Amino acid sequence: MRFTPTELTTDELALQTEVRAFLADELPPGSHEPGLGMSARHDKPFSKKMAERGWVGMALPKEWGGSDKKAVDRFIVVEEMLRWGAPVGYHWVADRQTGNIINKFGTDEQRERFLPPICRGELGFSIGMSEPDSGSDLASVSTRAERDDGGWIVNGTKIWTSNAHTNDWFICLLRTTPLEDGSNKREGLSQVLIDLHNTDGLELSPIPFLNGEHHFNEVSFTDVFVPDENVVGQAGMGWNQNTTEMAYERGGPDRWLSPFSTVEQLLREIQRGEMAGTALHDRVTELFGELTARWWAMRNLSLSVSRLIDAGEAPSIESSLVKEMGTRFEIEVIEKLVELVDQELTLESESLFQRLLAQCVLTGPGNTIRGGTIEILRSVAAKGLQGLPA
Amino acid sequence: MTVDALITDTASRLLAEVCTHSTIQQAEAQGEAPEIWQAFAETGFPWISLPEEAGGSGGTLLDALEVLRLVGYYAAPIPAAETGVLAGWLLASAGLELPGGIATVAPGSTSDTIQISDSGHVSGTAHMVPWGRSAERLVLLGEGVVVSVPATAAIISQASSLAGEPRDTMTFHGVQADVASAPDGVDAEALRFRGALSRVALMAGAIDKMSRLTVSYTNEREQFGRPVSRFQAVQQHLVWASQDAALTRMAAESAGRQANRGDARFEIASAKLVANQAATRATKACHQAHGAMGMTQEYELHHSSRRLWTWRSEYGGVREWSSWVGQAAAAQGADGLYPLITAGSAAV
Repeated sequence: MRFTPTELTTDELALQTEVRAFLADELPPGSHEPGLGMSARHDKPFSKKMAERGWVGMALPKEWGGSDKKAVDRFIVVEEMLRWGAPVGYHWVADRQTGNIINKFGTDEQRERFLPPICRGELGFSIGMSEPDSGSDLASVSTRAERDDGGWIVNGTKIWTSNAHTNDWFICLLRTTPLEDGSNKREGLSQVLIDLHNTDGLELSPIPFLNGEHHFNEVSFTDVFVPDENVVGQAGMGWNQNTTEMAYERGGPDRWLSPFSTVEQLLREIQRGEMAGTALHDRVTELFGELTARWWAMRNLSLSVSRLIDAGEAPSIESSLVKEMGTRFEIEVIEKLVELVDQELTLESESLFQRLLAQCVLTGPGNTIRGGTIEILRSVAAKGLQGLPA
Repeated sequence: MTVDALITDTASRLLAEVCTHSTIQQAEAQGEAPEIWQAFAETGFPWISLPEEAGGSGGTLLDALEVLRLVGYYAAPIPAAETGVLAGWLLASAGLELPGGIATVAPGSTSDTIQISDSGHVSGTAHMVPWGRSAERLVLLGEGVVVSVPATAAIISQASSLAGEPRDTMTFHGVQADVASAPDGVDAEALRFRGALSRVALMAGAIDKMSRLTVSYTNEREQFGRPVSRFQAVQQHLVWASQDAALTRMAAESAGRQANRGDARFEIASAKLVANQAATRATKACHQAHGAMGMTQEYELHHSSRRLWTWRSEYGGVREWSSWVGQAAAAQGADGLYPLITAGSAAV
């Protein structure tokens, strides 16, 4: 394990400047309700505007509508969007991982069908992993697919599926070879693409989120037909592909920037004199110092992971370490803010900072769970530290 | 800008050979380690970043920080930072002579009472001076001047850091010193930041060593019929310590690279703050994973943990640096907060 410090090149700094100018123009502070990092609002027109700049699916090949850019370029765009609280929700998953998976494991027909609309910001993806009886033990998924003419018949249920009601498709992990006594449960799984809104036998129902919003869904399948052309990669190799997909999910700025817009807004309100009784006294100044320094160091670690990816490496231990640490830091930030402001919170507050902090509190528990709990990440990282297979 | 692998290899080999559990123990018992210092000094490492005309090796600050990281890693009980990037830097900047042996620096305690007369005589007391008893020269900062006073002329009251390394009280009564004017940028503030940077480099090495030691110990130690590293509760400590090792090394190296280019006050302040907090968390995790074994001086964990408890408080603790960084953040304002995080001192 080695994280090597890196700096942005002149071209990369120019991209950063361009993204900041775009945001200042599109979403000047005060003109929009910032989101909490990747839990941002879905805003299709905004996703299209980003796509017009080449900032959605930017690491995908030009041939399929991408921009042939690097992981570091995507890092720069993403960190600016997240810290700004920009509404990146609609293209988020497709941009971060599904596009990569289709490009890496899919057929040319699938690339041609899915990648250009992803890169135009017109196709939103959800992720179908968890089931009622399969959370951290993901390989135990039991949604089953049985062979049929030209495809598969799927039965089962996925739950906690984020934004299935607003996205268009989802990539779903299911069992194509039945589990028998003594067989390896990591074998016989497959990844398939399913249309969320035009599929007979597929039913969506909302599961209310902690903050009362419709974010999670249950997706149930009753004899849903999935044609062979919607199977990604090799049937039965879904576990390995899924592990690759998880590597894209981990270690990026989305794992340490969620409360940034809240902290920035606190500083804004204090400096405008809007925070009664909270002038920049010693305790507040020291807290800003602590958070700023940690974000600086954390960003350098996370950026170095992107450089490793661009160097052709698969930094899975490094990204697990960053994600575990980053999401715990997010929770620490929220706790410190709550102690600092010492006020009753409401989502209806006149203060934007207090509304954001109320959201942070209500959605915070998800930060250390989504995309693999910190306990699972520790187990992955510890095996890596000990030189054991994951 | 990177460090030649030869420096890392040579310094690692040398320090691994001379800094063993027993030689470090012995250094603590004796209050100094002349043999280790001798071996280290013969390679020229203490003066690696000082200009050749001053008697150094003409390397970069990054070279010196890499050597300090290894000094921290191997818990070398020697004044490497003091002789080179601190006292040596002050002397070379002011055109004063570098001693052949150990040079140390007064870190500047609030209770110090040092006075320098117009004729260059030093009187008063400096506290917590690293290796004062072994030094040839003590280097001080006066108003616009660098002062080099013979350390052997001091009345010394011996004291030690939490790691058992010398932190002496030195009192002078009208001792003639060499005095030269300090160039721009060589002042108490600059020394404070440079001292902090030296500590961050040492801490990066020490946390790294401590976290590796903990991984290997918990792999060997068996309880309930299996290595304790198989328990998730223990794995948590391994993961947290290795994160803090990575975070501190990243902070140290990022700050070092910026310091080698120019103003790095934001990076150094942030790095020292991050390192201080990481040291607290990582020593707790590593001690817990070691159980009673780590509570003795018979086992080597304490060489790292006690040094970290020392270095986290030297050249600024959590309050001092969080206040500094917090003021920098407030000065940038809300719109400038993220640009400060990405561009650092260049944004200030």
